Amino acid sequence: MEKKGGFMNWLDRRLAVDALWRIMMSEYYLPKNINFLWSFGVLTMLVFAILVVSGIFLLMYYKPDAELAFDSVNKTIMMDVAFGWVFRHTHAVAASIMFLVLFIHIARGMYYGSYKAPREVVWITGFLLFVLMSATAFTGYLLPWGQMSYWAAQTITTLFEKIPFIGPDLVIWIRGNYIVADATLTRFFALHVVFLPLLLIVVTAVHLYAVRIVGSNNEDGIPMTKEEKKVKGIPFWPVFMAKEYFVMSVFLLFFFYLVFFNYSFAMDPINFQPADYLQTPPHIYPEWYFLAFYEVLRGFFFSQNLGLIAFVASMFIILFMPWLDTSPIVSGKRRPLYKIAFWIFIADFLFLTILGKLPPTGLYAWLGFVGSIVFFLFFIALPIISKIEKSQVERTGR
Amino acid sequence: MKELKILAIIVVLVLIGYWGIEPLAHSIMHKHVEEAIKKYNLPDFKFSDLDPLPSGVKGNAEAGKETVKAFCVSCHSLKKEGINAPMPSQAAAQSFGVVPPDLSNIGGILDEKYLYNFLKNPQKATENPKFSMPALGLNDQQIMDIVAYLKSIAKKNITGEDVVKEGCVRCHSIKYQKISAVSPADTMKKYLGKVPPDLSVIYKAKGEEYLDAFINKPQAIIPGTGMPRVGLSQEAQEKALAYLDEISDPHKEQRQKVGLLVLAYLAVMVGLTFAWKKKIWKNIH
Repeated sequence: MEKKGGFMNWLDRRLAVDALWRIMMSEYYLPKNINFLWSFGVLTMLVFAILVVSGIFLLMYYKPDAELAFDSVNKTIMMDVAFGWVFRHTHAVAASIMFLVLFIHIARGMYYGSYKAPREVVWITGFLLFVLMSATAFTGYLLPWGQMSYWAAQTITTLFEKIPFIGPDLVIWIRGNYIVADATLTRFFALHVVFLPLLLIVVTAVHLYAVRIVGSNNEDGIPMTKEEKKVKGIPFWPVFMAKEYFVMSVFLLFFFYLVFFNYSFAMDPINFQPADYLQTPPHIYPEWYFLAFYEVLRGFFFSQNLGLIAFVASMFIILFMPWLDTSPIVSGKRRPLYKIAFWIFIADFLFLTILGKLPPTGLYAWLGFVGSIVFFLFFIALPIISKIEKSQVERTGR
Repeated sequence: MKELKILAIIVVLVLIGYWGIEPLAHSIMHKHVEEAIKKYNLPDFKFSDLDPLPSGVKGNAEAGKETVKAFCVSCHSLKKEGINAPMPSQAAAQSFGVVPPDLSNIGGILDEKYLYNFLKNPQKATENPKFSMPALGLNDQQIMDIVAYLKSIAKKNITGEDVVKEGCVRCHSIKYQKISAVSPADTMKKYLGKVPPDLSVIYKAKGEEYLDAFINKPQAIIPGTGMPRVGLSQEAQEKALAYLDEISDPHKEQRQKVGLLVLAYLAVMVGLTFAWKKKIWKNIH
């Protein structure tokens, strides 16, 4: 970039690429006291790129039609097309791993207080990305038109029936039919391959832009001053990215191990049976990344309406963390009470995820109820912990 | 190292989660299958619930040939001997629900003890009270003659594909191998309660353990299922399963090979990127 060569110079005068490069990369400074968890943001973009590329190849042979979809995936792509199976495995595993990376990325933000002022917009756009990614995964899961595809879509779309007044009509509007059928498949296809990815790209741009403005958080939650940045900070390029490439390589090693040798977790066996609207499978469950939220839905087993409200709340409450937690201390590292609450929350999320796949009967139903309550207790505890910490800071002055 | 500690925490949490949603969930949701397998010790190729072969009765293939001609070919074909089915398959399916099997190779895929019991009492041997073939009232000598005869004419060195074609495709289609079920769907639906599933990727849908037990004793896994116990011998069943595995996952070898190459490439990448990181970060701390 230093060299003012012919072409770069020409381009710079027209697009100001030098300034853009400086702002986005070489003079965007990150604090030094960050660990590899800060690499997960770029990892989500790597996985997104993998999803887009593998998705485009799948798109060349996939047929969005209730009569053809299952065979186009399981025969054409998996058996007939040269290396078609690589792209399908890669796409399925990447969809699953995207959520693992997202969860770690979000948990890192929660632990170190990255949602706090002035990073609210980063948090909100990040939350939007999570919701959009969930919608993309949900619509994409219907496309192979297997039994689990079908019945997961049927079950989740049925939830909308409970919305007062418009519910039943809304369900038919979403499905384009009285049951999940060809019309549902084609509209989910449109959303999955065009609309949602486009939105994801736009919101990602805003997310990255917002981070460039407010800067990355760090382990201690104490921001660098403008003067400190050049002395104490590390530039995004090449220093941070040098580490990022190493993290990416390790991640890809793990990722492609899953793609080639341990992919079955991302491909439910029941989905190798074609969709049949007359035959409900004995157990219906979503992919693993929705299990915790699904368990909150089932946790209030005594009232469907309450369960539905809790389900929606469980997905959206995290958006309000910047306003629930008003403690002046940013990083969880220096907040003993918050730390306890955080780890209980993480353990509970894992607990709900495991429970979400088990049949909701007997003891499991009650455990699900307890787990759901603990899930919300974390968010109820936030204002209380904030209040305690505020008075502590006022008393001790730090 | 703090970063290694963080990595260790993530690895532990991921492993707990994986354990929960895969092995734990599987063991709880498939409890009835595991229990049935344990209870009946499946797959049970000794067919312990059936009568033992009659002692002291030795089958005579020559005599068996005559018995078969007298009793069996009024419904079954025996193509090896040039005997065609007496009815066209459509009509046979209308009368019996499914098209009766050709007997040429049946002796090579069914277990001897099972076949003896089947000829004595088809409903008991298949564990399917609605099974179409009636008991013929033959004595032990006649049955053992038939068994000896059917074994003597059966194709030797039978392949998994043969077993599946002889044993399964009268009812099941295998769309991806361009095989459609011999019996028409509507008569089977009437006879069995539903159209039997396609076998193209059944191995991926059900897995080896399940299929091994289910084919051996269907009623133990799904009580009331229309699938009869067909009584495959151990050798025939193993070959059939290997075939179903192969057709459901034809690129297994390629996957292993390409997988190792990709992982080797990435291992080199890990080394290179680590070296570059070291170089860039040398003066940072």
